[in-house]
Order: sequence, then C-alpha cells, then structure tokens
Amino acid sequence: MGTLAQQLINGISLGSVYALIAVGYSLVYSILLFSNFAHGGFLVIGGYICYYTLTVLGNNIWVAGGLSLLGAGIAAVLTERIAYKPIRERTNITLYLLIASLGMSIVIENIFVIVAGGRFRALPPVIPTNPVHLFGLTTTSAFDLLSLVVAFVFLTGLQLFIVKSKWGLAIRAAAFDLKTAGLMGINVNLLISIVFFVAGMLAAVGGIFLSVRYTLYPQLGGITIKAFVAAVVGGLGSLPGAVVGSLILGLAEMLTAGFISSQLRDLVVFSLLVITLLVKPTGLFGKKPTEKV
Amino acid sequence: MAEPLLSVQNLSVTYGVIRALHGVSMEVREGEIVCVIGANGAGKSTLLNAVMGVVRRESGEVIFDGKPLPRRSYQVVAQGVSLVPEGRRIFSPLTVHENLMIGAFPRKDMRQIEEDLEWVYGLFPRLQERKDQYAGTLSGGEQQMLAIGRALMSRPRLLLLDEPSLGLAPILIRDIFKELKRINGEGVTILLVEQNARQALMLSNRGYVLQTGRIVLQGRSQDLLVNPDVTAAYLGKLKK
Ligand SMILES: Nc1ncnc2c1ncn2[C@@H]1O[C@H](COP(=O)(O)OP(=O)(O)OP(=O)(O)O)[C@@H](O)[C@H]1O
Ligand SMILES: [Mg+2]
Repeated sequence: MGTLAQQLINGISLGSVYALIAVGYSLVYSILLFSNFAHGGFLVIGGYICYYTLTVLGNNIWVAGGLSLLGAGIAAVLTERIAYKPIRERTNITLYLLIASLGMSIVIENIFVIVAGGRFRALPPVIPTNPVHLFGLTTTSAFDLLSLVVAFVFLTGLQLFIVKSKWGLAIRAAAFDLKTAGLMGINVNLLISIVFFVAGMLAAVGGIFLSVRYTLYPQLGGITIKAFVAAVVGGLGSLPGAVVGSLILGLAEMLTAGFISSQLRDLVVFSLLVITLLVKPTGLFGKKPTEKV
Repeated sequence: MAEPLLSVQNLSVTYGVIRALHGVSMEVREGEIVCVIGANGAGKSTLLNAVMGVVRRESGEVIFDGKPLPRRSYQVVAQGVSLVPEGRRIFSPLTVHENLMIGAFPRKDMRQIEEDLEWVYGLFPRLQERKDQYAGTLSGGEQQMLAIGRALMSRPRLLLLDEPSLGLAPILIRDIFKELKRINGEGVTILLVEQNARQALMLSNRGYVLQTGRIVLQGRSQDLLVNPDVTAAYLGKLKK
C-alpha cells in the first residue's frame, strides 16, 4: 500500500515535469504544425543557466530560476528567428522546419559539449530532496512534491494566459488558422515569438527539475523524446492532451519501475506510443487533421 | 475632385511563373460601394489579398487615404482596412463572441469595443442569440454574418469582401447584401469582389470587370448591368 502510493506520487510528479516540456512542444506544433526537436535544447540551456548562476552568483534559486527561464525563453525566440522564420517565410512545407529543428538541436547540444564539457554536473543542493512522510501513510521526497507543485503552478498560469488573455485568444485563433489570424490585425511574427518564449520558459522549468533528478549534461535534452511521446499520446497540438499524456507516461514509467523492473520503463513508454499510433493516431484529445490550405 | 480613399495603380502580382494580375488600376472613393466582377481564376482574390498584404505586390502602388498601404497585413488592418476572406474562414473552435473579439485585436479602447460589439449584434441579431456557441456550429449564412461582423470589429474605413455570396441560398444572399447596404449607410466604404455579377452590380455604385488579371471594363453599375458584353459574359445564365 505504502509503495503503491509512493509510486503514484512519484509518477505524477515525473509526469508533471514531462507536462511542462510537452505543452511547449504542443504549443509550437499547434501554431506551426511541426515537431520542434530543438525543444530539448531549450531545456538544457535553462539547466546550464541555472547551474552557472548558482555556482557563480551564489545559492539563490529565485535568481537562478528567473535567469534560467528568461534565458531559455530568449534562446527559443532566437532559435525561431534564426532557423525557422526564414524557412516558413519561403515555404509552407513543414518538413523543412522539422529538419531545421533537428539541426538546431545538434547545434545547441554541441555548443554545450564545447563550452561546458560533456561531464555530468549536479546542481548545488538548493532544492530539497529529503524524505517527507505524508500523513503517516507513505514516504516520498520533498523534491517530488516540489516539482509537482511548481509544475501545477506553471501549467495553471499557462492555462490562464491561453484562456483569459488577449494574446491567449490570438494564439488559439492562430492555432486553428494562422493565415486568417494575420488578417485580424495580429502581428503573426510577434505571436510566434511569444509562443516560443513561453515554450522555452516552461522547458527551462522542466530542465531545472530534470537536472536535479538525473544531473545535468549536454544530452539531457534527449529526454524530451518522452515529452514528445506524451504529446502524441495526448494528441499533438492539444494542451490538455499534453498534460494528460504526460501524467499517463509518468505513472506508467514509475509503476513499471516500482513493480516490474526499472529496465522496462522505456519499453513501456514506447509501447504506449506504438499503441496510440495504431489505435488512435490523433491521440486522446487530438482533432482530426483538418485541411489547412 | 476629392482624392479616392483607395487607389490601386498598375498593380501586378505573380505566383511563381503565373502572373495573376497585369497592371491593374482601380479606385474606391469614400462612401462608395464598388464591385469587381470576374469569372473563376480572374484574379479577384489576388487583388484583395495584394491590398491586404497577404500576397506580395510585385509592382505598382496601393494608396489608402493618400498614403501607401504598408506591406504586412496587421499594419494594413491598423490603417483601417479589413477583409472578409473567401470562404469566410471563421475560427470554428472559438465562440461567436471570441471570433468578434479577435476582430478587435488591434484596438485598446474597451468602451468603444463594447459599443461596436452592440452595433454588430444589432446588425446581425442572430449572432447575439448564438454568442456563446462555437462558431463551427453555425450555418453557412450565419458564418458569413460572423465573418462580416468580425471584420467590422476593427472599425474599418474600408471593408473588403471576397465573394460573400459563395455557397449561400439566394434568399440569404439578399439578406446579406441588404446588410452590406446598411453598413455602407453607416459610413463604411465597401469594395466587393463577386462572381455573382447581377447581385453585386445591383448593390454597388460602380463596377469593374476583371478578366484574366486585367480590368477590361468599368463604369457605373447600372450601366454595366445593361452592357451587352457584360450581360453576355456574366449575366447570361441568370437572365430570364
Ligand atoms: N497561391 C497560388 N499559387 C499559384 N497560383 C495561384 C495562387 N493563388 C491563385 N493562383 C492563380 O492565380 C490566378 C488568380 O486566382 P484568384 O484566386 O485570384 O482568382 P479568383 O478570381 O479569386 O477566382 P475564384 O472566383 O475562383 O475565387 C488563378 O489562375 C490561380 O490559379
Ligand atoms: Mg477568389
């Protein structure tokens, strides 16, 4: 009983971190209709900014976190401006964007290999990881609870932004029909930059938590493949789908690790992807791919 | 004579190797309803899209209110021009109300926006009845009303319409055109492109005939309606 509760909490906690990454993925997909494989790079950028700020400027997680979010957001905007904007202004073929994003992910990863080196780094211990006893029922770590709470706060913030704000409305309109959104007096390039900024920021939050969980290294961004799977399971382009998909994935991973074998967790993740693609290719919340002329 | 509100001078547009407009010149004066009629592929949508900055203007000029219109759509909207696009292109997953609010995106004066919302609901009471409904659930005619209302929410001085009659029953077309007349009466200048030549000419003050990217005929709409070339080419089928 105790173990089950513990694995459930760990699973939801891991899933909520995936969700931070998956919603960024989905947000970009919903507007530009391509999977941005450089998204993992934003997470790594966030992680390293946090690491260096903590080691150089002292152990203030608020400053380091703030700079990390800001830096990853800006990096995401720059990536779009440098690598994607010139392409999308010339062609409607999203395959080129996908290829450019693969290229950018390699570029970002190797910048860190060269500048920071390939070794694994542990963030200074600013995020508590001590065990916490929950109502005498079960034991979990403060870290798992904290990542759950922080992810919840950021995802709620995103939801409020999308549903309540003027730019959120513009983003929802653009997700349905980008070209027509331009006719509404919306500066489409600015809108795309805002979307990338938000996606980069959320990726950085995920990056900080993943750096604590698994340590930080230039290839840490590879973990976004799981957020990608989560986004597909939930339905690419759907934000609630990305969150639900991520929670399913986190739970599946932790329950497999806890009750079957830790080595099977990735197998389960990719089985979920295959099952989704076979049974419901549009994912749980995905819309039918409608014609976008 | 007063300067026209919109003046298109020698405008050319190409798509790759296809030239869709060959030096088109036309104008719209303040307060007018002007129509451009032409068959499929004549270049009607291209003309409106070039004015809006949706397609690149290869050469020629587009002057609005004495100044060249900017090249990017959102800047064109800010100048006071808005388009009801071909096929309506409403945002189906958003509500009717949200679709209208999106039309007001560049504006900041909330009080005025509220007033204009009432104005649009007054023009199209059916939209008000359905304001919290998803736009995708509206009928074709209601969607066309929504597309017009949405374009009006930017408070345009010039409203461009691309085939508003497309796919609508004749009775609905009459309703929509009646509303356009009313909107024009409230101070909005209108440029309309249509295949439905008879209705468009009956509504408008002046008309142009566009044929494979060239203006081949222009004049007062009442004259065009009885012009033998026009009746033969564009009004033939409808003639009783
Ligand atoms: N995106 C495009 N790429 C290539 N050619 C295009 C494109 N858009 C339009 N054309 C071509 O330009 C010409 C004019 O097209 P346009 O859509 O302006 O015609 P139209 O008068 O609006 O026709 P319709 O009544 O069918 O809407 C046509 O020959 C069309 O095939
Ligand atoms: Mg057309």
